[in-house]
Amino acid sequence: MRKQSSGKRPAMSSPSAQGRFRYFLERAIANMRQNVFVNIVTVGTITLALLIVSLFLLLFVNLENAAENWSEKVQVTIYYDKELTPQEQSDLKTSIQAIPGTSRVNWVGRDEAMRRFKGRLKGQETLLDGIRPEVLPTSFEVSLKKANRSTEAIDQYVTSLKKLPNIGEVQYGEEWVRRFNTFLTFMRIVGGLVGGFLVLAVVFIVSNTIRLTVYARRDELEIMSLVGATRLFIKMPFLLEGLMQGLVGGVLSLLLLLSVHLLFLHNAGNFLTFNPATAGLSFLPVEYIAALLAAGALLGFLGSLTALRRFINEITG
Amino acid sequence: MIQFHNLYLAYQREASALQNISFRVQRGEFVFLTGPSGAGKTTLLRLVYGALMPTRGQVLIDGQNITRLTASQLPFLRRTIGVVFQDFKLLQNRTVFENVAITLEVQGGGSKADIGKRVMHILRQMGMESKIHLTPQRLSGGEQQRIALARALVNEPKILLADEPTGNLDDANKQQIMNIFKEANIRGTTVVVATHDRRLIEQAHYRVIRLQNGELLDAGEVCDAQTE
Repeated sequence: MRKQSSGKRPAMSSPSAQGRFRYFLERAIANMRQNVFVNIVTVGTITLALLIVSLFLLLFVNLENAAENWSEKVQVTIYYDKELTPQEQSDLKTSIQAIPGTSRVNWVGRDEAMRRFKGRLKGQETLLDGIRPEVLPTSFEVSLKKANRSTEAIDQYVTSLKKLPNIGEVQYGEEWVRRFNTFLTFMRIVGGLVGGFLVLAVVFIVSNTIRLTVYARRDELEIMSLVGATRLFIKMPFLLEGLMQGLVGGVLSLLLLLSVHLLFLHNAGNFLTFNPATAGLSFLPVEYIAALLAAGALLGFLGSLTALRRFINEITG
Repeated sequence: MIQFHNLYLAYQREASALQNISFRVQRGEFVFLTGPSGAGKTTLLRLVYGALMPTRGQVLIDGQNITRLTASQLPFLRRTIGVVFQDFKLLQNRTVFENVAITLEVQGGGSKADIGKRVMHILRQMGMESKIHLTPQRLSGGEQQRIALARALVNEPKILLADEPTGNLDDANKQQIMNIFKEANIRGTTVVVATHDRRLIEQAHYRVIRLQNGELLDAGEVCDAQTE
């Protein structure tokens, strides 16, 4: 009836690393199935936490976009009180274009200047009666590359611009540029601080939730340890589980964010006149989406790791 | 197989839990560990499988000094020791099969089929093969005890430790459990049963180690001819 000799005992073959990983994965999935409630709570917490962070990111990204659009207005204008010959125009344009940092050079002739002036006085065009385009200056409008829009960079640019022969009167809104750049710096500092605190809060909340779920299963950890599981073996399914929970939380939070975006935010710009260049708020760029997913996975993984470290030390002494 | 040398154990700030314990259990022996509640039976067993470390003195298991084992060596010692806990310590959200298979799974050896064969083999010995898909809470106390035993014995350990294994069982179940112990012993496993059940001890005629208030009262007589 009973087994008598050890020769009869079914042989145990040695498993491959792949087989082991499959065991861990199966164990992790089985654990998630067997502890549905706990897993819903964990995934829900991660989802909400990441949603808060991603909403903040969305806001920040759009503010940055808006700021970038505004900074297009950082322009250097070179005035001439005479009309330049086409030859002079193209010569000057070429030499301006050759200065590093130049993005676009635009010639504004007298007629164009008159047209703009009229546009600004819309409704009161009669004021311009009898004024001929000849009284207006002609100009080059130079827009700068993104990297050259800071206060110091513009000063430098203007210095090299003034060195050109036959250059006219150079003007740029120094005060405006300075204020705008101060505002940008301020916005980034505040954003960084708020974002930093948010991330800290999220890490804290998620790691504590995971700690509770690990705590709820300390029996399992204890028994595995008592029947001779190595620490790594005990940890692996939990770590994979944390990783998957984090990933699922990341995907869910992105889906929620996307639906919030599609439902409300994508046309919010219309009434906020937030970002007139593009209609409405834009969604997160791909790198941010990837980073959020990675953050979710990392959060789940590290949360499990720290929770496990404490319990395993308690159990295995 | 199991040796204690001048062992002392003190929990924090409390009077010592074990004092000056020295005895040895031979390979293949069957011994009872007895004494009133609080005498230190469970504590002594915990020292054998490395869940506790002595404050002073030595514990040698199969020639290995467990006080010198590192955290990464301890699991390998535990794989040679089967433990049946007083409260069974079965995983309530796993099936009978999974509860027993865990012993083999954690050793990282064997395919699913191998593990399945061995688990079914031991469950058949326990007469539990029809209940493999049930979870422990649907089993009686005696059945849970047998699952705990199956988990301890499935990898044929060198040492089997049992803490009050017949605590809440009726006579028929007690007899069945004792028979399983005896058979494991016959196959070469060293068995240590902690119990305060006098009748169990009297019926079996094995060596008895007596503890009282954390001290060794009587280590019994080592008898080599116990495997009959």
